[in-house]
Amino acid sequence: MLDWKKLLRKRLSTPDLPHGTREEVIAELASHRDETYERALSTGATHRAAVKIALQEVGDWRVLAAQIDAARPKQGSMNYRTKSLWLPALITLLGASVSLAATQFAGLRPQQVWIGGMGMTFYWPWLASLPIFGAVGAYMSRKAAGETPMRLAAGLSPALVMLVVMLLILPWGLFLDGFHFFRLVHFGLGLINWVGIPAAALLLGALPFLRGHNLTAEMNQ
Amino acid sequence: MPKRIRSKIARGSADLAILSLLVEKPLYGFEIARQIGERTGGALKFTLASLYPLLYEMERRGWVEAHWQANAAGRDRRYYRLTSTGRRQLAPLREEWRSFFHALDALAGVSHA
Repeated sequence: MLDWKKLLRKRLSTPDLPHGTREEVIAELASHRDETYERALSTGATHRAAVKIALQEVGDWRVLAAQIDAARPKQGSMNYRTKSLWLPALITLLGASVSLAATQFAGLRPQQVWIGGMGMTFYWPWLASLPIFGAVGAYMSRKAAGETPMRLAAGLSPALVMLVVMLLILPWGLFLDGFHFFRLVHFGLGLINWVGIPAAALLLGALPFLRGHNLTAEMNQ
Repeated sequence: MPKRIRSKIARGSADLAILSLLVEKPLYGFEIARQIGERTGGALKFTLASLYPLLYEMERRGWVEAHWQANAAGRDRRYYRLTSTGRRQLAPLREEWRSFFHALDALAGVSHA
């Protein structure tokens, strides 16, 4: 299969377009080419003929690039990143935080599970709500043409933030209280409790939105 | 089968063709090109190179809005939806072309009647 995105990246020279906008244009044009190719195949064309038909849609690449450069709204790369990563991630984080606060406010008690004398805390209603927020984050990112890693990061943002917080806390804890093996084990359990399990729940919701739009991957299959 | 209209005339009528389709429902680029080709019996034909600069220009002017949406197979497409500004362009454009055809008809007798 031809990698239309790769071809477009090579041929379409649009120096005035910010990276995010350019990637969106390439994704859209690659999608058009893919459909032109598939339509040609469905009408009985051979693979070679279908590729030729798809390629013939552009006569002069420099003219097309200049026209797109002039016409496309100049959306900044920061704006693209904000829309496809930061905003979905923030909303997911906010949703998960509000859900946790609501669980506590409603007086729902966490379940304590003891492993080797160390406790793990499970807020089951909160964990059950996480797939919804994971789905919201990944969906919003995909809607803004975010690539798969962006969708994943947006969907898992609450777990990622918690991971960063815990990684910042550990050195301080070790520095203040001194190194102790059990302290490390406790930290590991905390990671599973507050990062691993929530990440799995968030991923469950995000998964359906990680597919699609990434035409390069689809075509390479 | 209608004869294919040469590019300069087609380009001039492109705004009207695209807006007339989008007033019915939001469509993505390939589908816009396909429907224009089919409905005009191939007389108007848009390729990737001729269609997208026009769509982006319309988007820049605020005539259309675009958003990504996945189809049932999970493939995402960028759909264009007519805005209220775009809708307001349609009536004057139609009137402009009507006047143009009347004028051309009076001059060169191009209508079927």
